[in-house]
Amino acid sequence: MTDPQVAIFMLGIFIFTILLGFPICFTLIAMGVGFGFYAYYQPEQIFFDNRIFDLLVNQTYSVMANDVLTAVPLFLFMGYIVERANIVDRLFYTLQIAARHLPGSMAVAAMATCALFATATGIVGAVVTLMGLLAFPAMLKARYDTSFSAGVICAGGCLGILIPPSIMLIVYAATAGISVVRLYAGALLPGLMLAGLYMVYVVGRAMLNPKLAPPPDKEATDIPWTTVVVMMLTSFFPLAVLILCVLGAILFGWATPSEAAAVGAFGGLVLAAAYRALTWNRLKEAVYLTVRTSAMVCWLFVGSWTFASVFSYLGGHALIEEFVLGMNMSPLMFLIVAQAIIFLLGWPLEWSEIIIIFVPIFLPMLKFFGVDPLFFGILVALNLQTSFLTPPMAMAPYYLKGVAPPHVELMQIFKGCMPFLSMVLLAMVLLYNFPALTEWLPTLLYGK
Amino acid sequence: MKRYIDFVEGIGTWTGKAFAWCILIMTLAITYEVFVSKVFRDPTEWAFDISYIMYGTLFMMAGAYTLSRDGHVRGDVVYRLWKPKTQAAVELVLYFLFFFPGILALMFAGLEYALESWGYTEKSIFSPLGVPIYPFKTIIPVAGTLLFFQGTAEVLRCVICLRTGAWPPRRRDIEEMESILRQQREDENQGAREHGGPVEEPKP
Repeated sequence: MTDPQVAIFMLGIFIFTILLGFPICFTLIAMGVGFGFYAYYQPEQIFFDNRIFDLLVNQTYSVMANDVLTAVPLFLFMGYIVERANIVDRLFYTLQIAARHLPGSMAVAAMATCALFATATGIVGAVVTLMGLLAFPAMLKARYDTSFSAGVICAGGCLGILIPPSIMLIVYAATAGISVVRLYAGALLPGLMLAGLYMVYVVGRAMLNPKLAPPPDKEATDIPWTTVVVMMLTSFFPLAVLILCVLGAILFGWATPSEAAAVGAFGGLVLAAAYRALTWNRLKEAVYLTVRTSAMVCWLFVGSWTFASVFSYLGGHALIEEFVLGMNMSPLMFLIVAQAIIFLLGWPLEWSEIIIIFVPIFLPMLKFFGVDPLFFGILVALNLQTSFLTPPMAMAPYYLKGVAPPHVELMQIFKGCMPFLSMVLLAMVLLYNFPALTEWLPTLLYGK
Repeated sequence: MKRYIDFVEGIGTWTGKAFAWCILIMTLAITYEVFVSKVFRDPTEWAFDISYIMYGTLFMMAGAYTLSRDGHVRGDVVYRLWKPKTQAAVELVLYFLFFFPGILALMFAGLEYALESWGYTEKSIFSPLGVPIYPFKTIIPVAGTLLFFQGTAEVLRCVICLRTGAWPPRRRDIEEMESILRQQREDENQGAREHGGPVEEPKP
């Protein structure tokens, strides 16, 4: 076998092993070391002088000392603190009252709560389950359609991984070697656009078919506006201000993403204390969960960087590149094929594996098709919204099913998610046709 | 065998949890740095080094803890459909193929790397203060060793499962919000069913 063939063989075994369900980061490390030993083998060398061992520790150390990834545990910590700050019920109740004159007011409130809370925490599971316990029964009680309500909560809960400051975008920036700040600026408008499209869909459906979302009772809407303002000031604004400060500081260059994340985590602690939710136990929980999730993401990087450097040393990237370029695709075709593959990968895999392991295969090809890695990243981020909503590994519907009343069927939840999937698709088409949506803000803030 | 698993997991968990608190140090240190550098225009000399040292330490040292909680991602589309015995048999083989070789390499290569750094008491190049880097590099072999022993505990878990047909339970720990809430929900439904009451109010 020639070296590039060995590389493809290596990728093949790796994909097979993923299916066997072994923890992926260790598979990557072991295969990187094994194939690397073969790749760097020189007969006159003694065992330990093989260059793969240097490569392994160097890649490990470069993950440990990576100044982009430092923001990951900080944002996770902020998320876990905010998640435990008793904030969702207040937020949902307030927004429900604030939106009471809109059609489908509860769905609008649920969507807005999901979007805001998801943006602050960035943890899909927590948003969907908390809202599934709080908003979902309330909506069913108000005779909202089951599928419609379920779709709102699942789709809204996933927005957190797209709208900055999101952890997924940091991970993509570290993988693609582009600036987190520019990526955040680029993702802001598309993220808000998708949230807007969801909102338009919710209000539109509720207007066209009021049976899906009956209006609230008369006495429930009769609340003086001063009360509403006070409620907004105590529940909606503190969280919104926290997010805006973190994001603003990053976008206007006042602070690096890690600095903003640290201040955000500190702000989260203050917020939790203000809501009297900062107990010793909750702090402990947030700290331990942060470390576990960080270890999960960062060990994946250790494995992936080792694996990828051996894969490309053997000429695997070059072979794939040659193959793809040999197909003479137009840039549009390439984008469609790449996104379709990522969409399909989203069925069995989660976003972390897709971004850290599979997206790097596409990255070197972007320059041949004249695709900006930033633009590509935002398409991927939009696309991965679907990976949470499509079976068989649809995390969001499963989370919701886990806490929903027993009579709610999984199929009803999937059915409710479908219209939102088409909104994601629409957003991707819009983004392709109007690249200004991603380019305008980064260019305005930082120039070309 | 159970005692060995308990012992190893105890050490891994304790270490992981102890180093988890780095996140709090990191948050406070960077917040302090932002405060003094933006308000008093007097940045610290150590904040940058602290930030990546804390980050690298916390995630490396938590590798074994995360493994003991089954927290490393796996593509379990097929895996979850199998019987526990099949899972254990496959996993047992895969531990020897895809876990120990890589982790042993990390331990020994990491040890050499750290010793080299100790040899000339390497200092950080990012700050004039010269924060020492060699303890940080020592994290690599230490984290590798912790993972190695956790791996042996996981292998024993597979053996127990092969013998008894059921996975030995993992120790109780802090769970993600979604698991806690789902568990509560299931318990409630269970309780309602046992008392003969309606599980949920009928759909209106």
